[in-house]
Amino acid sequence: MKNRTIARYEGTLKVTGQARYEGEMMPEGLLHAALVESPIACGELQSLDTSRAATLPGFATLVTHEDTASLKPSAATALIREKAIHFHGQPVALVAATTLSEAREAAKATQASIAARTALTQMGQALDQAYEPAMVGRFPASTRRGDSAKALSEAGLVVWRRYTTAVNNHHPMEPHAVVCWWEGKKAVVHTCTQAIFGTRAMIAHAFEMPPADIRVLSRYLGGGFGCKGQLWWPWMFWAMLASRKTNRPVRLELTRAQMFTLVGRRQETAQDLALGFVDGRLTAIEHDVIAQTSTHAEFSDSTAVYTRFLYACPNVTTRHSLVRTNEPQPVPMRAPGTAPGTFALESAMDEAAELLGIDPLELRLNNFADQDQENSRPWSSNSLRECYRVGAERFGWAERRARSAAKVGRWKIGFGMATTLYPAIRQACRARVALRVDGSLLVQCGTQDMGSGTYTALGQIAADALGLSMDKITVELGDTGLPDGPFSGGSQVTASIFPAVEAATSKLRAALASIATADTTLPLGGKPPEDLEFADGMIRSRSGNASERLTGVLARAATDGLEAEGESPATDHQKLAASGMGYGAIFVEIGVDPELGEIRVRRVCGAFAAGHILNPLLAKSQYIGGLIGGIGMALHEQAVTDAATGSILGKSFADYLIPVHADMPAFDIAMIDEDDPHLPGGVKGIGMLGTAGIQAAIANAVYDAIGKRIRKLPIRIEDCL
Amino acid sequence: MSSASFNYIRAAELTDALARGERAGAAYLAGGTDLLPLWKASLTAPQEVIDISHLPLATITRSGDALTIGATARLSDIAAHPEVKAHYPLVCDGILASASGQVRNVATMGGNLLQRTRCPYFRDAGLACNKRDPGSGCGTRHGENRHAVLFGGSPSCVATHPSDLAVALAALDAKIVVSSANGERELALSELYPLPGETTAPDSSLRPGEMITAIRMLNAARFANHATYLKIRDRASFEFAVVSVAAALRIEDGAIAEARLAAGGVAPLPWRLEKSEAALIGRAPTEEAFAEAGALAIGGARPLEGNAFKIPLLRNAVIRALQTAGGQS
Amino acid sequence: MPSSFALACHNRGRTFQCHGDVHHMTQSLNANIPKQSIALSIKINGTRYEREIAPTATLLDVIRDELGLTGTKKGCDMGGCGACTVLVAGRRIASCLALAASFGEADVTTIEGIGTADRLHPLQDAFIRHDALQCGYCTPGQILSAIALLAEGPLSIDDIREGMSGNLCRCGAHANIVAAIAEVGGL
Repeated sequence: MKNRTIARYEGTLKVTGQARYEGEMMPEGLLHAALVESPIACGELQSLDTSRAATLPGFATLVTHEDTASLKPSAATALIREKAIHFHGQPVALVAATTLSEAREAAKATQASIAARTALTQMGQALDQAYEPAMVGRFPASTRRGDSAKALSEAGLVVWRRYTTAVNNHHPMEPHAVVCWWEGKKAVVHTCTQAIFGTRAMIAHAFEMPPADIRVLSRYLGGGFGCKGQLWWPWMFWAMLASRKTNRPVRLELTRAQMFTLVGRRQETAQDLALGFVDGRLTAIEHDVIAQTSTHAEFSDSTAVYTRFLYACPNVTTRHSLVRTNEPQPVPMRAPGTAPGTFALESAMDEAAELLGIDPLELRLNNFADQDQENSRPWSSNSLRECYRVGAERFGWAERRARSAAKVGRWKIGFGMATTLYPAIRQACRARVALRVDGSLLVQCGTQDMGSGTYTALGQIAADALGLSMDKITVELGDTGLPDGPFSGGSQVTASIFPAVEAATSKLRAALASIATADTTLPLGGKPPEDLEFADGMIRSRSGNASERLTGVLARAATDGLEAEGESPATDHQKLAASGMGYGAIFVEIGVDPELGEIRVRRVCGAFAAGHILNPLLAKSQYIGGLIGGIGMALHEQAVTDAATGSILGKSFADYLIPVHADMPAFDIAMIDEDDPHLPGGVKGIGMLGTAGIQAAIANAVYDAIGKRIRKLPIRIEDCL
Repeated sequence: MSSASFNYIRAAELTDALARGERAGAAYLAGGTDLLPLWKASLTAPQEVIDISHLPLATITRSGDALTIGATARLSDIAAHPEVKAHYPLVCDGILASASGQVRNVATMGGNLLQRTRCPYFRDAGLACNKRDPGSGCGTRHGENRHAVLFGGSPSCVATHPSDLAVALAALDAKIVVSSANGERELALSELYPLPGETTAPDSSLRPGEMITAIRMLNAARFANHATYLKIRDRASFEFAVVSVAAALRIEDGAIAEARLAAGGVAPLPWRLEKSEAALIGRAPTEEAFAEAGALAIGGARPLEGNAFKIPLLRNAVIRALQTAGGQS
Repeated sequence: MPSSFALACHNRGRTFQCHGDVHHMTQSLNANIPKQSIALSIKINGTRYEREIAPTATLLDVIRDELGLTGTKKGCDMGGCGACTVLVAGRRIASCLALAASFGEADVTTIEGIGTADRLHPLQDAFIRHDALQCGYCTPGQILSAIALLAEGPLSIDDIREGMSGNLCRCGAHANIVAAIAEVGGL
């Protein structure tokens, strides 16, 4: 597979404003919808008075839990089938009207009568009610390797600390939207989703319809980061019900404020972490995580899971527990688990290095895990030590001691580093390729592009396989009319589509080869297929000086073009010979103004090793983007619940701060190419790696700058004064 | 988001606007950068919006040592105005520390002074707020109050004033020209902002129908050489101040002849630090003098649970602002 | 003054009242306000559009929903993200905070008026080459904001970063955005 820089496939459409996002569909007769929200955090809906709303101009219909009774029960319909109020702002009805302002007016005029119950609005109020979930994602919630209690009691040094992380919200720039309508018994659903097939399956289940009667489209997606998934489905179902009741297309778009409550968030955590060392080697780790989940659904990030893998250690105990509160439901958010988990682990490692009197980088090298101890398997590939080396060199880590006391203007300078990691796994995927007689190629796969570059990757893989230039490629995705593709999440898409597209294109290559070699009077006649290569629009013989244009071959025996489908299976975790993991080492320089408490990240060097990199231009963008998300989590982002009411405070971009241009440091990204014989194409995911590790690197740099150890995120002015 | 409709009236003449502005339910619209978010969040529901942005109120006039800036002048135009840049750099600094380029291109000088608090309890129609809904209580006092005041709060309200420009203008002793159907009056900027009472917390002392038509600075160019606006915030731009300080000095023969200090993010209005100012007079601009001014700035501060950090922050900010202003030449 | 609205306004020489334009007399919620309809005549990308709009409509509502120019994005509708940035007489504004009725005379430029696939604006081209976009939703606002910023005067990299801070990006394309702007700005 080639590694080359190709400009973003859909770039021109996006820079000219011509890329149409699904919420921008404007079918004839469109109704607009608004949600009626609960003003309290816990209770039971008694009644809805719609008498006034129904008389307002433009009012078309109202959808409530009563309408939802027609849907088949499932996790996705649970919240909208019952009368229970679980959190402040929970929708109790959807109103559709001719215009958006009329819908909002009618929603405001709809009076909900709710019997209030005492709400539990903060995790800290009920730590004694914590319980252990069965699983955290695909991992067991609790694990035990060796005897950590004993090892801790025998350790020469124990670092035992509590680290906390705040609630974060995803906030893709595009708010969730759906434009849906019915064509007889068939449904057309244009919506922001990271999983068109998952969405279709849930609609099919809830509405008890054949999946083939549902078309879900998500061709351009204005970001997702984990929140354009299951929590959006209930409100999308309501829009579909409104459309069915009125027999008109309906559009529902969330407000920015609703994106704080309705579509998920990164859960807050309190993590107790104990590290035991003997002679600088880790002998024991205990990592206990308490996190929030809602009263209507359960979710736990895999926060302590990465502690099981990252370092060589014979005695490791990890536990996850959850506290149910009347707050919004958490879901995965970019670098789920690994972002908060590495904050604790990599901060504690820094504390340990300080106490042991050795360089933090050296401590990590000394405790490198040369295999997956948790599963007793080798790594499929692991270039973490190379990441440390390259990152340290490019960053100038060796100057740390000399530079630590430095001051630049008002800024006290600090250096910090940390490790990031994320598993490399694949989903099942199908793809179709269609080669036309003019030499152009259509590539189709029912996945999505959140902005991560999936259009480009699909096109590039297919183009390279057939030796075509990108201007010959058309990519289609984001439509359930296409072959089933992976959901956009878990840094899995590129790794998943690669083998499927390879399988499809190899069929085309075989077909082309058999045509090209069939006629022995022609240049390639009689050549063995394995002798042929596809490049520059030509089919060439490697051994001889013979070649033929691809279009010539097609014109001879495939005038209708050639089509093929390919598929590839999901990772089978039970049968893995080796564990796939992507790694990175993150080095940061920060400035702290100790009098004013302000913290600014000045430069970041990330050295990443995540298999084979398809397109360095887009990969670098992904890494930097991930790092910026991590800076936000480290220094800015915190959604706060008002204890008295359970309402999220400051539901706006003026209050919930995400990094802006002025916050940007200089970025230096090193990509260490790995040959990974265990993974198809050697592809690992890269989207998560930047968003973990950097939080601890920043906290460690704050310590380096001003000698204050901050064990909470975000780190703010008051922490540094 | 809001919904309650309003009628739009474009004022062609000031007298028309003022006559309409007196009526119940009327609201003036200049830039609209605060009114529209308030309206969208159902925090205000005017029946009639009177657009004054097209009135000829955006002029800058100099008369002797007085500079008068029309109320509907756009923030970005004032920040870029050569006269203001040369002689009133503090005003430019305050403006350029505010909001974003997009907002500054539309927001007006008068409107900026009348923007409403960013207290999250005020900005959410579902939460208790005496300022928005007198008698409903104050969610902030016993809730999340990192943003709350250190000075001038009352049991009814602990919200800060969000304007950067107002802090800069307060340090320059700016006057506000206010017009109504009954004529014109001039008041000190500090008189524009009443302190919250026991049960209510009005934003301004303007009477119904009154409109800020101009901002006037008298002999304020004398601070041009030693003035700075220091804004402290969590991220590097596009955020309201956690704490801010405007410092303006007149230094004569190596001694501070006049000192003006105003703080933002700590009170319901730009908070003049008069004790600190007094302590600087006649002193050389030394670290010792600045440290004393800083220490005096925080006297009488009454923090809540979540905002005590603003006390040392304010002290340090005063010192830093004085260092910057005093160090200029 | 080309706008019919503005004409009406100026011809009367005093406060414009929308008597002649009241189309619906239905009662609005909470206030007995007769529903007003405003004749808006607005120039966007060189084309004049005449529309009857609600007095409460923002410029963003008109551009995006009435005229279907969906290149202008709604990210927050509160002036906090910059996705809705358009140019009015070359100056960048947040169209979600602009009451359309107040912009009757305005000469508005949206992303659709900047360049096309065949004739990209230099900044559009630079955005593609620098990969200054990912999901693309903030991109039109970033480009329009940058065009206005570059027109405001000479800039350093830090000036670009400060000046672009009204345009949020969640994918994290900032570094490439600034690189693209710096290149076009000759830095």
